[in-house]
Amino acid sequence: MNELNPTAGPIPPTIATPPRLSKPVPLGEDPADREPITGPLTAVEAVLRAPRRIMYQLRQPGSGQLILEMLLVSLVCSLIYGLVVGTFSMGPQLLAAPVKIAGGLLVSALICLPSLYIFTCLSGSEARLSEIFGLVAGLLMLMTILLIGFAPVAWLFSQSTESVVWMGVLHLVFWFIATMFGLKFLDAGFSHSKARSSAGLYTWVIIFILVAVQMTTALRPIVGKSDTFFPTQKKFFLSHWGDSLNAPARPAGQ
Amino acid sequence: MSAHATTNEFALRLRPDSADLFLRADAHLLCKWVVRQRARLIWFCIALIIIGSGIYGATMGIWREPLQALYTGIKLPLVILLTTCGNGLLNGMLAPLLGLQVGFRQSFVLVLISFALASLILAAFSPVALFLVWNTPPLNGTTRLSSPEYGFLQLTLAGFIAAAGIIGNVRLLPLLRGWTNSYAIARRVLFVWLATNLFLGSQIAWVLRPFIWDPAGKTRFIGTEYFRGSFYETVFEATRRLIIKHEQNF
Repeated sequence: MNELNPTAGPIPPTIATPPRLSKPVPLGEDPADREPITGPLTAVEAVLRAPRRIMYQLRQPGSGQLILEMLLVSLVCSLIYGLVVGTFSMGPQLLAAPVKIAGGLLVSALICLPSLYIFTCLSGSEARLSEIFGLVAGLLMLMTILLIGFAPVAWLFSQSTESVVWMGVLHLVFWFIATMFGLKFLDAGFSHSKARSSAGLYTWVIIFILVAVQMTTALRPIVGKSDTFFPTQKKFFLSHWGDSLNAPARPAGQ
Repeated sequence: MSAHATTNEFALRLRPDSADLFLRADAHLLCKWVVRQRARLIWFCIALIIIGSGIYGATMGIWREPLQALYTGIKLPLVILLTTCGNGLLNGMLAPLLGLQVGFRQSFVLVLISFALASLILAAFSPVALFLVWNTPPLNGTTRLSSPEYGFLQLTLAGFIAAAGIIGNVRLLPLLRGWTNSYAIARRVLFVWLATNLFLGSQIAWVLRPFIWDPAGKTRFIGTEYFRGSFYETVFEATRRLIIKHEQNF
């Protein structure tokens, strides 16, 4: 393409193949990795286009600022997505859904953080706790900004359908896709920590998904309406899903 | 390559009559347009979508009456433009995550290009569709929802849209390939964009129905049940009913 472009000007960039876990290019070797992340917007851009910048910055002194910024972005994005979820039932859910989604996501990450640190240490990783914490914050940020990308689609469906089950499934699918990309970021960060094996990380991924899914049941209803903010009955998520699927179709307000 | 050398600066200028160059979807030329004449290209694509899919929409609607032709002529471009805007943010995020380093605006333009190509193809299908509409018995006491003629009309009109969409997207592949070194990445991004646009586009089309005929009442821009149910729920329910009925018969 360049040969056909005689004058100077912006040309489509060529990209490097992402490094694999077995032989990753060391962080900071590429000068682009060392570009500073100056604010939340730069962090958003970096996590989408150049995640190695974030991984490199998390290893530098004073990475706390970046972690805080990523958590802040996660909080804001999850609140916005929660608002979109709340538009299905409207009323008190406009407040409850954002609080439950943002709170649930952050608490899930916090609950799973110690196990991730233990698993990474067991895998021989040299990552410090702050770095692991930063990677989890990056995971949350990537997940939630992807959810923002899904928000227009979710809003359209929430205005169209009255089925709580259908909306629940749709939000779960969106959450699952966003989580997969977030976990890919975590995996890429983990590959630079000189771990001997990824088995610990993959075990943690299962734990994290189970915790997050159970959190949606523990904080129910997030999509539909309820008289109480928290549920009055304890349930396992599979049982809750089974009950929801077998329940007669209810409109959004019930 | 030699063609480019001879057309060089002339070809670089995107003009209202550049539709033929656009249809050839030459990756090098489109790349230059995307990078250097983005604003002009956006307006060009929007114009092509409005005209191309508008003509096809009008052809679909004319089977019922001229007013329906006008409405469908407006609604079909609207579906495409709303889908592009609704998924703009998501497509822009997914592209770099899948390995294609394009910006939000560039990804928006790329999706717009595929829709513009599809619209041009739809415009080309319009005379054939019009011939089909002309040959289908008009809406009266003998033509019902269950009439085979109506079913054939629906399927053919939808088939033309599907064909145009597939061709438009496939023509985008060499352009995406120009942005990355990997065919696999280009294919993956194209597939994901296609899936997201199909997912949202189907629902937007469902909200803006009817496009051909609303048996429940008189001609309206949007039917009375526009926000009732989703496309996928309806397909799921229809499939479920079909399976249950089949099992009972069996």
